Amino acid sequence: MNTWRYIKNDRVTAFAGLAADEILANRVGAGTSQPTLRLYTYQPCALVGRFQTIENELNLDYCAKNKIPVNRRPTGGGAIIMGENQLGVALAIPGKSDETYANARERMAQFSQGIISGMATLGIDVEFRRKNDLEVKGKKIAGLGLHKTNTGGLLFHASLLVDLDVPYMLNVLQTPFEKISDKEIDTVAERTTTVQREVESPLAMDEIRHIILNGYKNAFHSNILLNDYSDEEIVEIHQLEKDKYMDSDWIFQSTEVPDSTGKSVIKTDGGLLDIRIVLAGKMIKSAYIGGDFFTSEHAIADLEQSLRWHSSRDKLLTETLSQVYERWSSDLANLSMESLRKAITSAIQKAEIMARKTSSDPYGCFVSPRGAHA
Amino acid sequence: MNKQFDFKLDRFYNSNHLWMKKGDNGHVTVGMDELGLDSLGEMAYLTLPAVGTPVEMGKAMGSMEAAKMTGELFAPISGIVVEKNDAVLQNPLLVNEDSYDTGWLVKIEPANWTEESAAMVSGDALSGWIDAEIERFEIQGIIE
Repeated sequence: MNTWRYIKNDRVTAFAGLAADEILANRVGAGTSQPTLRLYTYQPCALVGRFQTIENELNLDYCAKNKIPVNRRPTGGGAIIMGENQLGVALAIPGKSDETYANARERMAQFSQGIISGMATLGIDVEFRRKNDLEVKGKKIAGLGLHKTNTGGLLFHASLLVDLDVPYMLNVLQTPFEKISDKEIDTVAERTTTVQREVESPLAMDEIRHIILNGYKNAFHSNILLNDYSDEEIVEIHQLEKDKYMDSDWIFQSTEVPDSTGKSVIKTDGGLLDIRIVLAGKMIKSAYIGGDFFTSEHAIADLEQSLRWHSSRDKLLTETLSQVYERWSSDLANLSMESLRKAITSAIQKAEIMARKTSSDPYGCFVSPRGAHA
Repeated sequence: MNKQFDFKLDRFYNSNHLWMKKGDNGHVTVGMDELGLDSLGEMAYLTLPAVGTPVEMGKAMGSMEAAKMTGELFAPISGIVVEKNDAVLQNPLLVNEDSYDTGWLVKIEPANWTEESAAMVSGDALSGWIDAEIERFEIQGIIE
């Protein structure tokens, strides 16, 4: 049986939380620390994914006014809020051959098994959803990310929604909504769920943490023993906080391929269709599908999820839409695939025009001072 | 083995599954091989070093976000970057779709090609190395 270390932290700062995970993964990869599962909560903060443009993802004015720290993860995926009601799960293991995850068909799915197994003991049926979500009946309950360090260590990150203040989240994150009313709040609440919503009576964070810990013990047949950081690790974590996660070059770095946005609103037989697309080069970074047509939020959430980090090419778009429509044929009956495809294509074209306009403007925002941490 | 992976016989490969091809002008084109790409999934985002940047073998020269993980791109050789492929920055999927041709990453003017290329796999050694790598990836569960 493998023996891993278990570290429990609460209310860590954004920079301390991220630095600790990276140091653990670096050291585990180098063989100087043992594989470690860390279950922790942050002080309220907002974290963007490795390659996101922070000002496009977070409402920085709101964050500044409300003293909400912002930072950048080493893992991919989207912007998230973290705080006392979101459980951070970090698993640092060596990336080399190891019986622990031999025969894993998909490492991300494998590493999620601890959460899935733990939630199953509460009667919550959690499913892994490519590429980086865990869902309960089509509603997102956790976001996932995986990063390989330069020492060969693997860092698996998850943020489990134990509870969620949707209006607060919509204020912190940049959203495609022009205003945040009850309707927008309901829309987001319908596409996500939380542990507390799925159980009959509320659970304390420590109870949930214990359940996840046991989930990992069962899923990986591992002995996971409570311990703490070594003195050496603490020194390295503090250094990395200063060198990287407190450095605005890392947090506010820009990318060579900037984002552009496009919007398309069209009338369809089923109602008004409102599409917003964020584009980076030829990739759709995110899509929002709204309007007053009648359909299930699950089907729309699936469409939006399927379009994230998707090619903007028409042929590939059509293939993906066809697959989603096959899955939700009755739910999407009021929204024709052709209308949706046209609206998405139109929004993409507008985003491309915006990108061309901005790139030809010498005083635009394309100065890309690549940070020292690129 | 469930899948077949294409490896071009006219190039050198390293353990990070990058391929290298030396051109007539001495510049070395670098890209990712199919086996490495299968383990990463579809590319979503790439950063590459600017033209003129010195790179050192084994040190980070860029980074990537793929469907299955984020990570750094390590320079397979030492030298100076003489060209980067802007097409893959705009459309990272090109790396998956045409990894040996239009999906190349950078061109490097090598500093120590003779010494550094000796550590890479090429020619007759390629076939045995590919089989061993596929087996390793399958055992580790990196590929199906």
